[in-house]
Amino acid sequence: MKLQAVSDDEPRLGRLINIGLPYLWLGLFFLLPFVIVLRISLAEPALTQPPYTALWEWVDGMLEIRLNLRNLQLISEDSLYLQALLNSLWVALVGTLGCLVLGYPMAYAIATAPERQRVPLLMLIILPFWTSFLIRVYAWIGILNANGLLNGFLLWLGVIDEPLKILHTQTAVYIGVIYSYLPFMILPLYANLTRLDRTLLEAAADLGCRPWCAFRRITFPLTLPGVIAGSMLVFIPVVGEFVIPDLLGNPGSLMVGQLMWTEFFANKDWPLAASLAIVLLAILVVPFVIMQRLQQENEMN
Amino acid sequence: MANGTPSRRPLEPWQDPKARPYVRIDRVTKRFGDIYAVDDVTLEVYQGEFFSLLGSSGCGKTTLLRLLAGLEYPTSGRIYIDGVDVTEVPPYFRPVNMMFQSYALFPHMTVEQNIEFGLRQDRLPRRERMERVNEMLELLRIAPLRKRRPDQLSGGQRQRVALARSLAKHPKLLLLDEPLGALDKRLRENTQFELVNLQERLGTTFITVTHDQEEAMTMSSRIAVMEAGQIRQVDTPTAIYEFPNSRFVAEFIGSVNLFEGKIIDLQGDDVLIEAQFGGLMRMRSLQPHPIGTPVVVAIRPEKLRLCPTPPNNGRVNQLQGVVEDIAYLGDVSIYRIRTPSRLLVEMTLTNTQPRTEQVLTWDQEVWVEWSPTSGVVLTD
Repeated sequence: MKLQAVSDDEPRLGRLINIGLPYLWLGLFFLLPFVIVLRISLAEPALTQPPYTALWEWVDGMLEIRLNLRNLQLISEDSLYLQALLNSLWVALVGTLGCLVLGYPMAYAIATAPERQRVPLLMLIILPFWTSFLIRVYAWIGILNANGLLNGFLLWLGVIDEPLKILHTQTAVYIGVIYSYLPFMILPLYANLTRLDRTLLEAAADLGCRPWCAFRRITFPLTLPGVIAGSMLVFIPVVGEFVIPDLLGNPGSLMVGQLMWTEFFANKDWPLAASLAIVLLAILVVPFVIMQRLQQENEMN
Repeated sequence: MANGTPSRRPLEPWQDPKARPYVRIDRVTKRFGDIYAVDDVTLEVYQGEFFSLLGSSGCGKTTLLRLLAGLEYPTSGRIYIDGVDVTEVPPYFRPVNMMFQSYALFPHMTVEQNIEFGLRQDRLPRRERMERVNEMLELLRIAPLRKRRPDQLSGGQRQRVALARSLAKHPKLLLLDEPLGALDKRLRENTQFELVNLQERLGTTFITVTHDQEEAMTMSSRIAVMEAGQIRQVDTPTAIYEFPNSRFVAEFIGSVNLFEGKIIDLQGDDVLIEAQFGGLMRMRSLQPHPIGTPVVVAIRPEKLRLCPTPPNNGRVNQLQGVVEDIAYLGDVSIYRIRTPSRLLVEMTLTNTQPRTEQVLTWDQEVWVEWSPTSGVVLTD
């Protein structure tokens, strides 16, 4: 009897571990840090170690809870923060669209290439990852500089008379973002496109649909999951991007990532930086949750 | 052909020298690398036909269909549809629709939208499109499924939707690639008749591809038997069965006994053949052959007659042997008879009496005989 009870429990234990591990992982490395950041965002900066005040204190047998909401107020009122947020969203939007416009044809070309060529072509997309991200962004300074490779080449061609000012402009940020995040767009699109049933396109052609129409009505709608996945993989990290705007961007138009860095390390205002992080998270998460809800409802019907 | 089914019309179009073919395939070859998928095929199909391309897999039948649809272009040769040279015309400009073997239904569209797809390309007004969609839904009795997506349909339902979609544009020519291939046996048999009724009602010319000879026999007005990219015989189902023009066709359709031999005498319409099994055969020959020609006599198992005693016909067209195998199939029984020369002869007998006792038993000695018109004399 006892033996049976053990063997009965075993699968349950296995299942618990199976489900438990990812939850534990998420709890430890996502939920807990989030709670810590949320907690810091409600504190006040202090010249202590760590540099913020406690949220509650026992004073004469009374529990004093002090929640500082001034940071949220500041973020919503000071145009610096609002502008940085808008700028971040804008750069992410341009970057995502740029990656999509460049990445879709590339993914399509790889997916429709002869089977033997696909792996080498994919390798070319993944190859840049073998170099440090930081070095690759630095390399763009060398390319976009006033006396860099690009200007040198254009001057040599005679297309321009004096060097273009690209480095430390918004354009340089767009270029850096699109360059760095392009593989994140291509890979999910490629995965989606290779799964596309070619006979569907033949059926469309047979029913009178020219190639462009077949793309518009069959290929694109069916690869929409890939477009969405790729766009999320680009958009979300770019909003919080720090390295690219810091190295290539215009110091006059900051992104949220840079502001957070300044608040954390230069101004030692951890609560303000944490508040920015929370606001950013809310801006990113809320629309996606709503979207997912709508999608689920759509599928239910 | 002479022994064909009683025809509906006095003259079938392929017998009428004045009839104009609706589809004409003129010496078409399609090569993939150094493989000849379709090898110098010439074929004419007439308006209103239910034409089947029959062959085992890899014989080029699907490639030929795809050439007609415009999904492949021939390496050489021309294709004419309704008198127009369409050899280089892309699929979206051809007056042809195709039903794909995998059905190729658009997974992100409802049944209704799938059917409507081709009509949108024709820029028909919405009202007309909806009328046509309804017509198709009614025709194939799938109206209750109109809002479903392909993944919510059964195999049989998908087949109907695919058929509805390919018929929605009222094509003059419909190509069907293994239309019943994905259905189970029972459903396939019912659908065969439905497909023929549909074709007769609409008057559309159907060209189907199949590897199933029974399917081709039941449905087709004519069959083209293909092998290795070439057409071996084009004829009505009856003619293909009764008068195969080659050993390949005879063996491909149904079962057949092949007796090899040599012509030793000509007797009017008949030829006298010295058979390898050691007897004589007198057979009606459709073509004249000179004495000494090596031939194969093909006789269907049901054309053989069983005699419990030695037949009295001068030792011509008869065999003696013992029963080696009996397969009881309910309506008929198949007997395999081994001759002293180790030849295995197959014959079928209809079980007209309740099978209370064996007509024949294993190892029983029997005689088999046949008439001069019960088979064909083949040289190839």
